[in-house]
Amino acid sequence: MPYIGSEDTVRDLRRVLSNPNVQSDQLRYRNTILKVIRAMSQGVDVSGLFSEMVKACATVDIVQKKLVYVFLCSYATLNPELSLLVINTLRKDCQDPNPMVRSLALRNMTNLRLPSLVEYVEQPLTAGLRDRAACVRRVAVLGWAKLHNLQTNSEIDAAVVNELYSLLRDPDPVVMVNCLRALEEILREEGGVAINKPITHHLLNRLKECDIWGQCEVLRILQRYRPQSEDELFNILSLLDVSLISPHPPVMAATLSLFLSLCSGLPAVGLAALERVRGPLLAACGNTSREMQFTALCHIQLLLRSLPGLMGEHYKRFFCGYAEPAYIKQRKIEVLVELVNDDNVAILLDELRGYCTDVNISTAHAAISAIGRIGRSYSDKCLEILTELLGLKQEHITSAVVQTMRDLVWVCPQCSRTVCSAVEGCEAEIQDSQGRHALLWLLGVYGEQVSSVPYTLEVFIDGVRSEASVGVKMELLTATVRLFLCRPAETQDMLGRLLHYCIEEETNMCVSDQALLYYRLLHCGIEETRKVLQCRRSDPSLGVLIGRPAEPINQWSYIFNTLEPLRPGAIETESATIGGSPEHMTFDPKPNNDLSDTLSYSFGKTVRSGESEHVQCPTIFRCSPQSLQAAMQLVNIQTLAFTPPHTLPWRVYLYTNTQNKHSADTCHGTLILGELLYTGEEIQKKSKDEENVGVEARQDKREEEREEDTAEGRSEKERVKKNTAEKGIKVTLKQQPRDEKALKGFLSVLTTVLHALSSE
Amino acid sequence: MSASAIFVLDLKGKVLICRNYKGDVDMAEIDHFMSLLMQHEEEGLICPVMAHGNVHFMWIKHSNLYLVATTNKNSNASLVYSFLYKLVEVFTEYFKELEEESIQDNFVVVYELLDELMDFGFPQTTDSKILQEYITQEGAKLEVAKTKVPTTVTNAVSWRSEGIKYKKNEVFIDVIESINSLDVTVNANGSVMSSDIVGSIKLKTMLSGMPELRLGLNDRVLFALTGRDKGKTVVMEDVKFHQCVRLSRFESDRTISFIPPDGESELMSYRINTHVKPLIWIESVIEKFSHSRVEIMVKAKGQFKKQSVANNVEVRVPVPSDADSPKFKTSTGHAKYVPEKNLVVWTIKSFPGGKEFLMRAHFGLPSVENDEAEGKPPITVKFEIPYFTVSGIQVRYMKIIEKSGYQALPWVRYITQSGDYQLRTNV
Repeated sequence: MPYIGSEDTVRDLRRVLSNPNVQSDQLRYRNTILKVIRAMSQGVDVSGLFSEMVKACATVDIVQKKLVYVFLCSYATLNPELSLLVINTLRKDCQDPNPMVRSLALRNMTNLRLPSLVEYVEQPLTAGLRDRAACVRRVAVLGWAKLHNLQTNSEIDAAVVNELYSLLRDPDPVVMVNCLRALEEILREEGGVAINKPITHHLLNRLKECDIWGQCEVLRILQRYRPQSEDELFNILSLLDVSLISPHPPVMAATLSLFLSLCSGLPAVGLAALERVRGPLLAACGNTSREMQFTALCHIQLLLRSLPGLMGEHYKRFFCGYAEPAYIKQRKIEVLVELVNDDNVAILLDELRGYCTDVNISTAHAAISAIGRIGRSYSDKCLEILTELLGLKQEHITSAVVQTMRDLVWVCPQCSRTVCSAVEGCEAEIQDSQGRHALLWLLGVYGEQVSSVPYTLEVFIDGVRSEASVGVKMELLTATVRLFLCRPAETQDMLGRLLHYCIEEETNMCVSDQALLYYRLLHCGIEETRKVLQCRRSDPSLGVLIGRPAEPINQWSYIFNTLEPLRPGAIETESATIGGSPEHMTFDPKPNNDLSDTLSYSFGKTVRSGESEHVQCPTIFRCSPQSLQAAMQLVNIQTLAFTPPHTLPWRVYLYTNTQNKHSADTCHGTLILGELLYTGEEIQKKSKDEENVGVEARQDKREEEREEDTAEGRSEKERVKKNTAEKGIKVTLKQQPRDEKALKGFLSVLTTVLHALSSE
Repeated sequence: MSASAIFVLDLKGKVLICRNYKGDVDMAEIDHFMSLLMQHEEEGLICPVMAHGNVHFMWIKHSNLYLVATTNKNSNASLVYSFLYKLVEVFTEYFKELEEESIQDNFVVVYELLDELMDFGFPQTTDSKILQEYITQEGAKLEVAKTKVPTTVTNAVSWRSEGIKYKKNEVFIDVIESINSLDVTVNANGSVMSSDIVGSIKLKTMLSGMPELRLGLNDRVLFALTGRDKGKTVVMEDVKFHQCVRLSRFESDRTISFIPPDGESELMSYRINTHVKPLIWIESVIEKFSHSRVEIMVKAKGQFKKQSVANNVEVRVPVPSDADSPKFKTSTGHAKYVPEKNLVVWTIKSFPGGKEFLMRAHFGLPSVENDEAEGKPPITVKFEIPYFTVSGIQVRYMKIIEKSGYQALPWVRYITQSGDYQLRTNV
């Protein structure tokens, strides 16, 4: 921070500080130091005064001491040599009869963060652990954690660790909790503080003495304990019941988290605990602090994944107030969608409709797509509202409604007629590319149902030169060709113009390649084109995916009560897992990542050069694309494209975007692209460790089939056996950014799914 | 928990004061905070958690300050927010108002407080009365500081010191309930969307020595426990007590017994989640004739006991931002146009129960339409009804026992206030 005259200020201050007259007058000395600190807070670089301040440290005045320590801790790292001078004073202070001075000295000694000083600090710290004043012990205990943090690779002193363990029995609750914290830090390599039965019971008995911070800490650390018997488990649970309904949200959440980890083997008890926290959680949603409300909402979303009916009758608590910030409104809308049932759907939709005209555009969009999602179960009412919204002729609303309708129509093909009549004539209002993209898809697929489509497309084609979005151009191509298939006479001329433009003048490779593809396809004849472009209408079997099954609690319990659920998109909502049709998956409007680009541009190159593994489940290629897709989506893998069943070579392209759930320190996701290839030929080369899994599974499978097949003819059995013995699916994976763990996890999930499918 | 550092920023994002607790996150990271916030604001997606690389900012806003905690761990979010609010609470107790100016005036105390409140990213002493022992600065103007605070190490009752003397022993009990409600006019009679009552019992104690107090309420659980069944009772949820209340006694037999802190304090707070009739019901008709005028008709009806009177009632009706030339007619009270907030404020000094009042307003609209999108702000109502509680909670007795056996007088006062009391309009 540049500060005018900062050099003068420092010079003046130095002059005054070194004036012996000032030094002898306590009040003046103190005031001068105050000025130094003020200058420091204002961003002036006063580090030049370090040696003067070190001198000022030797004083009996506590007020002055505190001020000087603030200064020293801020600049110690810049002056390691001079800091050595302070140590003497600090060590002397550690002998002071006043416990406040002792704790102050000890704390600042450890706050200097200088590895070179460690040897001088250890002795006072050891003495501090045995100090008779609790406030000194508190500081000393954490001091050891700080020391360890300074030199993480140093030997852990067993004597200190033992002493810290024994201090868990300290009469002061804060000392006890600090011991836990320090041990966690020091023993991190070994997995943190060891929790055995006596320690657990001791901590539980003293839980009530701690303040809320301490309680949360204890509850968190107890998560590692595994009770030895069921009796003990239930004793612990009943002891914790009071904390479970604590009015302090952090304590309640920490207790629930502990409950869930203790009851991981008893899902019924876990669910009962969720029921029990309903009241406190709802209360937390009405907390005066918005941030706490937001946190509570995010955690409620987690709970709803396992117990969708948890908040059903309390839906009114999730209605949005006018002045609430957008982040709360959007989470509330997401929760509301989960709470829809036959009784409240009318009121809920009415409420959501009100949010669609919110001033905040993203809130409005969230409300509109929420209505779309409710539309999967209550399509008539929702379509009525959506159509009504189109009547408002608001640019962004129309665009969002069209996108929502596209997604809805894919899941509920029976709505197509209503949707088609609704979207007619709204092209003028849509300006953004995602909205136009959705509109074009609808027009292309349902071209025969809307009379005015050729005119609409003509407008688009005339303006193709000024079109900026690649996605819209590609969709326009597809839509026009599709329309040509069902209404050739009206479309032929404009299709010709469009193809000509795209092939001759378009600079973007993707667009011109696609145009070329269609051009050549049309050369092969109408029937061929129809085969390729005939739109895959959604399958009624997709219906099973609408009602999301209740997940087991341990799917999310490890992120409960952390930062994770608060991150946008951390909680997989239904709309994320099952978007619209896979056809527009590549251009799925996801505002915060450029997934679509990565996919469309790098796909061809990446897949082949990636890592490859073999999975032995050859019958998979007989499986229908729909069931494959459905199964993949259940484990959050998206299929991009696949060849029809029973064709050779058989290929599937898929991707997933994983959140890193393994380490607490990083929160980055990774994108994995995959290709499944089944050529029908024998695999020669086998690679890597995962192969073992494949082999085992293959052998299991062979045995299984052998047993199953005994009833059938012998020849049949032999053929199957031969097949399985020789052929496998080749899996090629490409990942960015690199994350070995996630890749392995993904492969094992994929293998499981493939095995499950092929055994069906 | 693990907050790596705590920052206090002004509205422009300049660091006023900061404290590095762990040293595992670069202090310069805070420079990204403001730009991230602006970016989110532009997209309309402000969020209390923001990430830059693997550093997460968790922040709250208080008057003209941002309080930010940084972390690079997957830490416990609710605990961090609780701590930030605790900071606000402690600072406010020290400086009365927590704002940029008070931080700058008291930066030394802020340093001291930050030092005591947290160590190595873990909250330590957060009770403001205990904190006083450690704070040396005289600049800290904590009112209660007059009485000498006992050392927590020796005294069992950390919130009250011995040897307090009053000539006249009195205790004042205020029962304050505020109603938060969200109403919507679904049809002519309207239905209440959600409402809850947040109540608190405040004490002002002027008692000598170490008195033992017992408070009796018409708590339904207590009545059921003792088998009594007469009169009106209330069911309280989420009861929170001051630390002086013996929780074990309350849990076992619902007795609220305590040694009170001296002076003013909040003894307990509770929430009651029942459907109550809106105390002041508003019907509104807002007719907007584009390019010419807006006609507003608001009818307010007091739906509480005839004996009670609501004081200082304020009905705030939103009007379009481009409205001009206001004209009003009211059956009682007076209406005022507040153009900077786009509101008509209708004030009624005293509003007896069961009565109904009317206000009409007329505004002109310019012929050129304002094409900025405007939301539909609700009508908000403010009021205060003394000698009345919505929940019907009652202080049945307050027993005061002290060794010296003096006589002390308890005074009880009830008041109902509007909290966040909104009624949606039909525009």
